[in-house]
Amino acid sequence: MHPTLRLINRNLTISLNPGFVVWQVMFPIVYIFVAGFAYTALIDSVALGGLQLDYPAFIASGMIGFNIMNSTLVSGIIIWNDRRHGMFEQILVGPFTRRNYILSNVYTIGIVGLISAALITAIGFPLFFQTAQFNILTIPFLVFASITGSILFGSIASIISTRLRSSEGFNVIINTVFLFFAFVSTAFYPAEGAPEPLATAFYLNPLTYLVDIIRAGIFGNFTEFVMMEMLVLVSLAAVLFVVAIKLLTRLDL
Amino acid sequence: MSLSSIVTRSLTKSYGAVTAVDGMDLDVRSGSVFGFLGPNGAGKSTTIKLLTTLVQPSGGSIEILGINAVKRPLEVRKRIGVVLQQPSYEPNLSVEKSLEKYGMMWGIDGRTRRDRMEELIDAFDLQEIRKRKNEDLSIGQRRRVQVVREFMHEMELLFLDEPTVGLDPGARRKLLDFLKNKAKTGLTIFYTTHVLTEAEYLCDQIAVINRGRVLAVDTPEQLKSTFGKQKTIKIRLAGRHDGLTGILSGISDCKIDFNTGTDIIIHSSRSEIVLSQVLQLLIENNMTVEDLSAVPTSLEEIFLRMVDSNAPNS
Repeated sequence: MHPTLRLINRNLTISLNPGFVVWQVMFPIVYIFVAGFAYTALIDSVALGGLQLDYPAFIASGMIGFNIMNSTLVSGIIIWNDRRHGMFEQILVGPFTRRNYILSNVYTIGIVGLISAALITAIGFPLFFQTAQFNILTIPFLVFASITGSILFGSIASIISTRLRSSEGFNVIINTVFLFFAFVSTAFYPAEGAPEPLATAFYLNPLTYLVDIIRAGIFGNFTEFVMMEMLVLVSLAAVLFVVAIKLLTRLDL
Repeated sequence: MSLSSIVTRSLTKSYGAVTAVDGMDLDVRSGSVFGFLGPNGAGKSTTIKLLTTLVQPSGGSIEILGINAVKRPLEVRKRIGVVLQQPSYEPNLSVEKSLEKYGMMWGIDGRTRRDRMEELIDAFDLQEIRKRKNEDLSIGQRRRVQVVREFMHEMELLFLDEPTVGLDPGARRKLLDFLKNKAKTGLTIFYTTHVLTEAEYLCDQIAVINRGRVLAVDTPEQLKSTFGKQKTIKIRLAGRHDGLTGILSGISDCKIDFNTGTDIIIHSSRSEIVLSQVLQLLIENNMTVEDLSAVPTSLEEIFLRMVDSNAPNS
């Protein structure tokens, strides 16, 4: 087996432990079913292109993007954990190159992102299947969103992992990043109707672009704006990916 | 097979103005256990990082198993095993899963991995903790797993950086015996430690280093005979005698290192002559000897003396 594949195997074993999988499923389920139905009294429906989505369908589709972000932030911190627990050096004195290590993390993040997206799509499906407008672009849009989103958020986690040394600092930064991404986005509520500064802040957040693309795929809302969002997302992911790789390559031992 | 597993020439590593390894020449014979001794900050771990290709040297050459380690590091890493000084573990994996996954990472097939894992679990008494997660182990248990894990794969040269730190005496002895047996099968071991008795028990050759430089390399016996011609004479008197130092001051080559009035420790390279002179003086001064011994200088004393004489202000 190729060294990178062996490292992916190892990464998936330590990432996909039962606790992680349960958390990855339970956390969005609570949002989808509890918040989704509880907020229906406040948000009756959300306009998306020519469609009127009920709130549970809106949040269930938003949760796919949320889960991609959530899972890849977690798997992106493999590097942090490896540094903290001495496995980074141990791997690099083994039969691997830095390139093997970096690639294995990229693939692991991508796989975890795809698994998370698939899980939440399956769980949320009953809520949006009535309004969904599946077509030939649905699957490519979802796969594009999963991979680009995974690389983007995985790169952010990797950059944080390479720059910080203290556990306290790392936890503060990761939690702050998570809170901003999760709640200053269109994953939970639509930008329309939000106060202007908040609506603007939504579009400074890559998760907003990610969930917009996912919703476009599921509900057939392929607009020019969504195409632009795809371009922004892929450009941002590429830049962050290059930065993460450079930092990892230069990481001192 | 090459006669030497490790050859370095003028090996140097600097971090800014600090030179951690300073022109080191090493020659480690294949199939031997090579002890690498030095005080904290002497450059032991940096040397290991250089030899295991983890960091690049600032100057000099490194040849590991006949391979240029600077130009072809991956080829070197495929043939060596390394237990670094700092702990390394995956917190959420059980002991047996860690061993199994580590074997997988080295490309060992499933059946061999399982067989080897069972052998190692038996050999190192890990049965009780095999299902426990690494994060739930004590520091010593974790260290044991870290060392054991390295034997999941084949290697020609093993680097061990203070492997017994945190181990209880039983586990320590078990590891040393295991390493001794491994060395008999032809494995070359590069072993750093602070515990001189370990080095004496295990190593065929010992290098003493300080401030990034090799002070001496030889067999433990040769080191002792070269640097330890002196013997240590220990005397215990029945009662306290405050004028003891004055009484013994006339004897030549008699260095009193410790004197409480009842217990005296003397170092001398003419121990037989000095001992008889000391005894004669004690009897003349009506002092009763309760206990007396003359022992060769230990490796630890030689080590301390060498390091002290190499200290910046010596």
